Amino acid sequence: MSEQDNEAFEMRSRALFHDSVEGLDMRIRSRLTQARSAALSAARGRRPWFLDWKLWTPAAGVTAAAILGVSLWIGTPVGHHSATMADALANFEDLDLVASTDEGSGDAMDMLQDDIEFYDFADKAANSGPAA
Amino acid sequence: MARFDTLNRAWMVWDNPAPAPEGAVLEYTRELEKFLAEIERRAFRMAQVALRDPDDALDVVQDAMLKLTRSYASRPSAEWRPLFYRILENGIRDLQRRRTVRKRVMTWLPGPAEDPDNEARDPLENVADSAPTIPERLMQAQAMQRLEASLRALPARQREAFMLRNFEGMDVAETASAMACSEGSVKTHYSRAVHALREQLGEVW
Repeated sequence: MSEQDNEAFEMRSRALFHDSVEGLDMRIRSRLTQARSAALSAARGRRPWFLDWKLWTPAAGVTAAAILGVSLWIGTPVGHHSATMADALANFEDLDLVASTDEGSGDAMDMLQDDIEFYDFADKAANSGPAA
Repeated sequence: MARFDTLNRAWMVWDNPAPAPEGAVLEYTRELEKFLAEIERRAFRMAQVALRDPDDALDVVQDAMLKLTRSYASRPSAEWRPLFYRILENGIRDLQRRRTVRKRVMTWLPGPAEDPDNEARDPLENVADSAPTIPERLMQAQAMQRLEASLRALPARQREAFMLRNFEGMDVAETASAMACSEGSVKTHYSRAVHALREQLGEVW
């Protein structure tokens, strides 16, 4: 097998192949054109990389989580916490005063009972006033 | 103002990608179209030589086109050809592997029942070609059939090297890039392929 024979073989096989390509029927040609169009439509439909939501969604999620974490950390200061505790303690003291039965503060519940009796008396007096 | 133009163009591609009338997208799309139109028929025939079935060959070529345009369109156009043929060859091998697995599975299963209506579905397939055949043309077709059969009998790498170098006209470096191997390997595969084909086809072919 000489080099010349090899070249002749290569040329013949190439010519046969190209003849077979030229002889492709219309059905195949048409389907290849359709395939090409579909591929090119896919290429045209590509979005710019910076508008790809797949790229930004994880980054946006991480950023949102970080902002929430930082706001929770900074937005609940120690002073705010202490003020809330002070308010709660003051309310507790008020309740304690009302319910208290110490000598100095009097009987708060009796005082409230007296007021109800007074308003009942005043109401009756007002209704029978002109006749008396 | 220029910033707004850029942004508007970006949003146009986002909102309505198909008719993008200008810019880089259109530029590489045109180049891609030219490239694919030039290459598609040869690629189909090469796939058909390897797979025999024209529908399978069409599927593999279409997949290769889609993968090239989706993943590598932004690459320099000089890289498209080796990339395309690498994708195509991978597709061919995947299909051949699937066929082998299917064949093994099918040997364990009962064969499909004969469908008497099947033959009547496409009557044109069974009609003899009545067109007059020129003897020379017929001889060429027979010679090509023998060449295809011999190519199918070659190891995949030898077949690939022969088709890319001889049919597609790629140089050694480009073929090496398409086959993802060294230039030395390409030369070895090609030389063995030529030797084996000539032995199979004989001197009179």
